[in-house]
Amino acid sequence: MIIGVLFIFYLVYRIYQLAAHPAYGPDTWLRFAISGLILGSVYALIAIGYTLVYGILFMINFAHGDVMMIGAFGGFFVFEALDAIHVPSTSNPHLTFLNAYPVIAVLLAFIVGIGIASLTGYFLERIAYRPLRRAPRLVPLISAIGASIFLENAGQLLFGTQRRDYANPTILERGTGWNLAIGSGTVVVPYTGVFTVILSCLLMIGLYQLVRRTRLGRAMRAVAENKPVASLMGIDVDSVISRTFIISGALAGAAGVMWGIHLGLVFSYVGFIPGIKAFTAAVLGGIGNIPGAMLGGLFLGGVETLGPPILGIGFQLKDVIAFGILVLVLIFRPTGILGEVLTEEKV
Amino acid sequence: MKVGLQNNLRLGIVFGIVMIFLMLIGFNLIAANLIGSFFNTGDADVLNMLLFIGLVGLWLGATAAKQDNLWLSAAINGAIAGAVCGLGLAGMVLLLGSLFEAGVTLSTYLAQLVPSTMKAILFGAAAWQAALVNWVIFALAGALGGILSYLLRLEGWRKRLSSIWVRQRASTSQQPIIQAIRSYPRSRMIIYGLGLVVLFILPLGLSQYRNYIIILTGIYVLLGLGLNIVVGLAGLLDLGYVAFFAIGAYTAALLTAPQPHHLQWSFWVALPIAVVLASLAGVALGVPVLRMRGDYLAIVTLGFGEIIRILLKSDLLTSFTRGPQGVNTIGGPDFHGLSSGVGFVYLIFLSILLIILVTTRLQNSRIGRAWVAMREDETVARAMGIDVVKHKLLAFAIGAAFAGLAGALFASQNRSIGPEDFALMVSINVVALIIVGGMGSIPGVIAGAFVLKGLPEILRQLQDYRILTFGALLVVMMLIRPEGLIPSRRRRLEIHEDEPELTEGTTAVEGGKA
Repeated sequence: MIIGVLFIFYLVYRIYQLAAHPAYGPDTWLRFAISGLILGSVYALIAIGYTLVYGILFMINFAHGDVMMIGAFGGFFVFEALDAIHVPSTSNPHLTFLNAYPVIAVLLAFIVGIGIASLTGYFLERIAYRPLRRAPRLVPLISAIGASIFLENAGQLLFGTQRRDYANPTILERGTGWNLAIGSGTVVVPYTGVFTVILSCLLMIGLYQLVRRTRLGRAMRAVAENKPVASLMGIDVDSVISRTFIISGALAGAAGVMWGIHLGLVFSYVGFIPGIKAFTAAVLGGIGNIPGAMLGGLFLGGVETLGPPILGIGFQLKDVIAFGILVLVLIFRPTGILGEVLTEEKV
Repeated sequence: MKVGLQNNLRLGIVFGIVMIFLMLIGFNLIAANLIGSFFNTGDADVLNMLLFIGLVGLWLGATAAKQDNLWLSAAINGAIAGAVCGLGLAGMVLLLGSLFEAGVTLSTYLAQLVPSTMKAILFGAAAWQAALVNWVIFALAGALGGILSYLLRLEGWRKRLSSIWVRQRASTSQQPIIQAIRSYPRSRMIIYGLGLVVLFILPLGLSQYRNYIIILTGIYVLLGLGLNIVVGLAGLLDLGYVAFFAIGAYTAALLTAPQPHHLQWSFWVALPIAVVLASLAGVALGVPVLRMRGDYLAIVTLGFGEIIRILLKSDLLTSFTRGPQGVNTIGGPDFHGLSSGVGFVYLIFLSILLIILVTTRLQNSRIGRAWVAMREDETVARAMGIDVVKHKLLAFAIGAAFAGLAGALFASQNRSIGPEDFALMVSINVVALIIVGGMGSIPGVIAGAFVLKGLPEILRQLQDYRILTFGALLVVMMLIRPEGLIPSRRRRLEIHEDEPELTEGTTAVEGGKA
């Protein structure tokens, strides 16, 4: 309690100090906020996957970040393959399919990334989790950890250890964007970032509607509430769980391709850190709660980029802030920002 | 018949996917090498590759024809499964082969498919030939496997063999000598004593590398025993256990190293300080998380572990811990007359024995029973008058103290440590090893440490595939034997609660956790 109050006092003091002696101009703050928003929207997508699975099975799908990695590689290979197909035209003899039809290329990358990520999610559940449905809680967690290690190393064996650059089409070149003149400097609003935020918002709205409005969504909520009763009502629990994994895999795959397009680098451990961060986000928002996961993701993205300059510490420590907030939230409000009060049984 | 066909198709597809995966990670070549050294047919040549594929095909065929009672249908079923699997594999070989022949450097995308591996996969022939050979071999081997499995079942040899085995076992266990040894009350002590003597003579005869493996495994045994108290006995899932390991290691390192603090204290002074500091850190973590349970606790402790690692690495503490560079030339204990490797093995053995002693004493004490009660149901435990706060903190403190000891030993053995030695993976390895070994059981922890840390070091041939296998092993282990290799009796009963034949003869069946 005391630590929390002291922390809030320090925060207020720092903000006062920053207002009195600004360390950065408004353009820099805006830059931080933009990158926080972009990062946060990717975290939010991954966090939803955690929350969906946790809401239904009460287990941490530890391999979720690695599903994202698989999706990122799917998109990478589509871009590479399309970049190898030449579509010669009169104006540019070196034109490739990727740049000739960028919309189709991006669409294909997402379809393939989402497709193989949801397949991975499906098989993950079938092989590693379904047989353990009735086991004590530690058992599926260990199985998930094993699956995560397996996927990471399979990725490394298949695709090698080097970090690979996403070959974006030129209209989505990284680092280019709209220039805004703010104060003394200019702020670049990157095209990839805007694309990422819009797409992830669309996906989140779509998912929310799916869970709220459709038959499958209703079945998912029923299974989350009470599995035996849901099955008595004629819901095929196994198939609902399978589809939940497919959906969460699809979101992770989309997040992976966005990660690749916006940040550029993919390698076999690329999903690990975002996975843990996204879990943090899901817990922050109240695990099992979909709007909570979105909010938690955006909040975490903001904290990561805005936290270090506000607190006046190095960017190296951004993860410390993220985890520190996680610990504080869990201590003072264990249900998360939007979380319902979980019954003993669920916690 | 239709169900059978569907099953065969599914089996063929599963095998096909696995085979394609193995081919893409270049495992075929390794397998061919292994087969080559086994049959003495030399290094990876075409024959060994074909043998490998044929063996897998036989296995597939035998699995597909498991329930057939006619040799013809067994052969057909095996052949169908083999053909489906072979078709997938042949398609992949054709695709990769034609890309390879077109001059694409496949290894830029699929790292293992360097030209020499590609040549081996294509049997040195053209792509279409290799694909055809793959397909034909799988279909033929599948059919052969089906017939073989039919023939083997026909004789009923398996049943006869197992009955002989059971009879043999029953008769040996009834032999008077074994009976006498079993009934002699001290025999257990004597066997343990002999085991100890062997353990203490063993390091003298082993190479330095083997001793290093023993030390490494021993450090993980220490960590496992410590976490066993927190997770296995008190039921508090701690995924940030590496933090205490790091605190112990850094304390010992900073106190004994010439850089950055010029202290250079003796190892024997630094060791208890490391243990005490680690256990204080355990209490410090324990206080805020007292109210948490289950996965929330796991994630908070995970965060704590990461915070410690990032702080060690950061600029903030560079002057104190030397940041990402880590601490070098850490002082170690001085062994009079023994080479440091062997001396260290003894030190590790002694620590393990000490900790085993402490753990067993704790386990059977009032405190141990309070932990178990808390793990089973905290509310009931509280109602029974158990001081939950005190016992939780005690579990964290003792677990952390063991990790601190392990850390100090690790630092002085390694002579140099850095923040990356304390990654999240260490915590996960330790959790995995106590669960694979058998939660709450001391022999289980030792077995788990050996299987997860010792074996991979010995099986260096498969070096690239080690961690992959480790991951797969964890999943498989949870699927087929979730209670662990050597489970404690209580744990086994908990996991097999709904299987009456295992709980037979026990009056008090443990209530499972919700």
